[in-house]
Amino acid sequence: MDQATNVLRLSSERLYARELEALAAVDQGAKPPGWRLSPRAALTFITGGEAGGVPIRPKYIGNKRLVEMAIATLLTDRALLLIGEPGTAKSWLSENLTAAIHGDSSKVIQGTAGTSEEHIRYSWNYALLLAQGPSDQALIKSPIYRAMEEGGIARFEEISRCASEVQDALISILSEKTISIPELGRELSAAKGFSVIATANTRDRGVNEMSAALKRRFNIIVLPAPASIDTEVDIVNRRVAEIASSYELQAALPDEEAVRKVVTIFRELRGGATLDNKEKVKPPSGVISTAEAISLLTGSMALAASFGTGEIADEDIAACLQGAIVKDEEKDRLVWKEYLDNVMKKRGSEWRSLYNACKELNG
Amino acid sequence: MNGERVRVFGVRHLSPAGAYHLRAYLDKVKPTAVLVEGPSDANAFIGQLTAHGVKPPVALLAYTDRLPVRTLLFPLAAYSPEYQAFVWANKRGALCEFIDLPTDRALALLELRESGGEDDAAEEAGEKRRTYAGWQHSLYERIAELADEPDYEAYWERHYEHAGSQEAYRQAIHAFSGSMRELTEAEERAFVPQEIAYNGLREAYMRRRIRETLAAGHEPDRIVVVTGAHHASALDLSLPAMTDAEFGKLPSVSTSLTLMPYTYYKLSSHSGYGAGNQAPAYYQLFWECLNAGKPERLPTIYMTRLATLLRESGTYRSTASVIEAVRMAEALASLKGGSRPTWKDLRDAAVVCLGNGDYAVVAEALARIDVGTAIGKLPEGVSQTPIQNDLNRELKRLKLEKYKTAVAQDLELDLRENRRVKSEDAAYLDLNRSVLLHRLAVLGIGFARKQAVRQESASWAERWVLQWSPEAEIQTVESTLKGETIQIAAAYVIHERLQQCENLAEAAKLIRVSCECRLVEAMTEATRTLQELAVEAGSFEQIAGAASELSALVRYGSIRRLETEALVPLLKQLFLRGALLLVDAANCNDDAARGMAAAIQQMHAIAQEHHEEVDEALWRAKLRELAMRDDRNAKLSGFAFAILLERDEVSADECSQEVSRRLSPGVPADLGAGWFEGLSMRNRYALLSRAALWEQLDLYVQSLEDEPFYRSLVFLRRAFAEFEPRERASVTELLGDLWGAGAEQTSEELLQPLGEEEKKKLDELNEFDFGDL
Repeated sequence: MDQATNVLRLSSERLYARELEALAAVDQGAKPPGWRLSPRAALTFITGGEAGGVPIRPKYIGNKRLVEMAIATLLTDRALLLIGEPGTAKSWLSENLTAAIHGDSSKVIQGTAGTSEEHIRYSWNYALLLAQGPSDQALIKSPIYRAMEEGGIARFEEISRCASEVQDALISILSEKTISIPELGRELSAAKGFSVIATANTRDRGVNEMSAALKRRFNIIVLPAPASIDTEVDIVNRRVAEIASSYELQAALPDEEAVRKVVTIFRELRGGATLDNKEKVKPPSGVISTAEAISLLTGSMALAASFGTGEIADEDIAACLQGAIVKDEEKDRLVWKEYLDNVMKKRGSEWRSLYNACKELNG
Repeated sequence: MNGERVRVFGVRHLSPAGAYHLRAYLDKVKPTAVLVEGPSDANAFIGQLTAHGVKPPVALLAYTDRLPVRTLLFPLAAYSPEYQAFVWANKRGALCEFIDLPTDRALALLELRESGGEDDAAEEAGEKRRTYAGWQHSLYERIAELADEPDYEAYWERHYEHAGSQEAYRQAIHAFSGSMRELTEAEERAFVPQEIAYNGLREAYMRRRIRETLAAGHEPDRIVVVTGAHHASALDLSLPAMTDAEFGKLPSVSTSLTLMPYTYYKLSSHSGYGAGNQAPAYYQLFWECLNAGKPERLPTIYMTRLATLLRESGTYRSTASVIEAVRMAEALASLKGGSRPTWKDLRDAAVVCLGNGDYAVVAEALARIDVGTAIGKLPEGVSQTPIQNDLNRELKRLKLEKYKTAVAQDLELDLRENRRVKSEDAAYLDLNRSVLLHRLAVLGIGFARKQAVRQESASWAERWVLQWSPEAEIQTVESTLKGETIQIAAAYVIHERLQQCENLAEAAKLIRVSCECRLVEAMTEATRTLQELAVEAGSFEQIAGAASELSALVRYGSIRRLETEALVPLLKQLFLRGALLLVDAANCNDDAARGMAAAIQQMHAIAQEHHEEVDEALWRAKLRELAMRDDRNAKLSGFAFAILLERDEVSADECSQEVSRRLSPGVPADLGAGWFEGLSMRNRYALLSRAALWEQLDLYVQSLEDEPFYRSLVFLRRAFAEFEPRERASVTELLGDLWGAGAEQTSEELLQPLGEEEKKKLDELNEFDFGDL
């Protein structure tokens, strides 16, 4: 795969190609059918470690046991469903798991209100269909179809955004492991190793409730928000550095202090209380996830690079904080103002300049 | 004899694999003597523990036979290696003995360690102990982390409980605890020197006992010592054993031993190395599977049972989910290179596959399958303290045995005679139950808790919550010191409390308690105490309280089938004394008046209830005196007057005369209004129906100057604050009539919101300075 490397975002298997190779080289464990790596090596790929002298960067920080459970699920008959608050690294984990196990994380279906059954099974090239009638050439395979052929893993993002009848199309695929193609008079049986990793948002639950029948075909693992501030700071630092290098942002990485401040603000707004639990805080209407914190910091880096000194200043962070927190006009502005005056103002001198910058923007 | 090696089998105290491998080892070695770590004065109990009908978990309990009672517990489950050693030895007729320090020394040493000299030193030692425990804990966590296991429990299970062969188990555990001991020795010496000294004594004593066994003619390689793995390396006979002289120097307290049933719940709440066993019911299942020779079936049985429990509670889970859960647990185990899933693997798989990722869904079922509600059982005849036996007999007699479970259950009692049954016992079953439960309550045995009855007036109904726990059993054993049976012990406790009883109310309460416990002698004694105290007593409130208790007993005593006639003279005496004290006692301030008013209420209730027995005329006379006196608390005078008014003892003329006298100009406003407050504390309808009274009040208020008006306003406001809104409306209507405004117009006026000016007036009132008040 010697394609150009100047793409905006590399898929996980290409980003970490060296690590995957190193792991495969020293992998002694038994590989289940269709797997590129043994389960243990896949675990190391996700949680970090070392393989034949190559350091493996941790991809998912937090509860290692959850990753073990996710991999164990893929060893069994059931598909895996990762659910959690927005920004709890569901897609990230799903992509990396697929990269480690299958080596190709590109078979993705993005669930939207417009996703139809064809996206899940197969559709037709109508020009060919009209010209030749149903034939293998005219068949357009869905990512799941291709995964079944190869015995690989297909990803289904935001499954709860699809209409429930579309979700139901998955049921027969997951239980029978076949897709029937009546037009061609045959059916496709999945090769060994086929599985699906789906993700769903807890905030979306009300949009399209998953049917019990579909739920039964999945092993559900709930990904929690990072447990401690240190874990979260660590995650943010790591991801910001990765994103900055792939976007080639011409700004210095934010210092530990700035990251910690942003994470503190986010945790407090998310949790509805200050970290020492002494004061209640009103949460804003929007989502305040770790992913938001990451994009906020990369955003400030972009601001600093394009319009500032190249060093992230408190004004840059303040501008991005304003944008991240105040989404729903007046209400959020009040929440943010209250937080600034009741919590941040009393935090002492290190917070003073950030407070002033935020205060000025929020008015 | 030095250097002779006996066979030592180190175990974890609650370990199914340990029990299983130990049994296989014993089968192989066929020892003539099995020596077990445990108090050597408890040897007599070993045979009983394995007797027919004993169902573990059970515990051996040692307690000091003087107060304060200190206890030592040795809990045993069916899967305790020690327990299986007893069973094996019993079956093969081998000698089986405990070899640890006898409990009299162990408890004395424990006491010594805990008293730990002066406060500062004790605090420092406690601090050090906590530091050490924290360090030890972090060590265990580190081991789990190195082994790539989520926690130490999982590490232990995967590496020891799952050990395939008996030899592998024995050597692994030996090596592990040997190196652990070496690793922790220095820290232990620095932080918890008492602990290491105590263990040193125990090990020296154990060596002494092993030597004695050798001297008794057992071959060294036909002796198996079963001990906590921690001690295994110290049982080397080349080390010195404790001599007679050394043993003689150990402190000692007098102790007794007994057996008691135990619960899995209690087992699960122990913590620390060796004792730790978070999931006893799971380990029991583990043990059963091992015994059946099919340990690989454990995950299947576990998940199936879990799904069954879920279905029973209304959460349907398909068999496919159970299969997936088992497969996932096995996949988790294989990720770790393990042969079988650990408890942690099973739980995690259950949460994912059966709980759909949500722990809350399976939490209750997990608790039931992991910890369980089972309690042990000891058959009759197995040595227990007399009071334990007595309690069991009583529970059986009163058909309460089914309540002896670890699950709390409600019991509703109807104390009345059940006329539909033949025997007397059956007719008064509930009453007898109540008596027993009250006696247990007096003894502080937490088996039953009395609940408030919804229907307050039903003196025949009682509600109890019954829940057996090992603590309750220990409390029962402790009660042995107070008497041989529940009845005697309860009587003893009441006797003790009477000896220390110094006030009337307490004595009266004890009469009631003895009545509830149907302890006639205690009741007589309590009555005597009350009589003695009554002679001295000068507190009107206490006398009223005591008399009220007695009155309740006299009225409702029959429901408990007790002769309460004997209490009548005492009641009379108390009442008389109370009546005579009334006027004097009413000379008090407003704070005390509240309690006094309640006491007067009680006395008045007695006067009405027992008007044939007590001197009611005197009471009325005293009330009248109080009502008419001007030098007593005005509120109480008002209250007394209200009672008289209610009893129709005052004529209309007298009433208006008194009101105008009390509320006449010149009487300080706080006294006048205070009197009115007292008046309104009783039946308010009696007041509302007397228009003359309101006329007087009206005239009085109008006659006041500004300053006293404000003063009286405070008191009147307070008095009216206690009125219900409806009553207040009646008052305003009454006053409206008086002023000629008519009822309707008044209420209309009242519904108007306040004007600016009126508001200002009220605000001014708030700022009124009362000076001396």
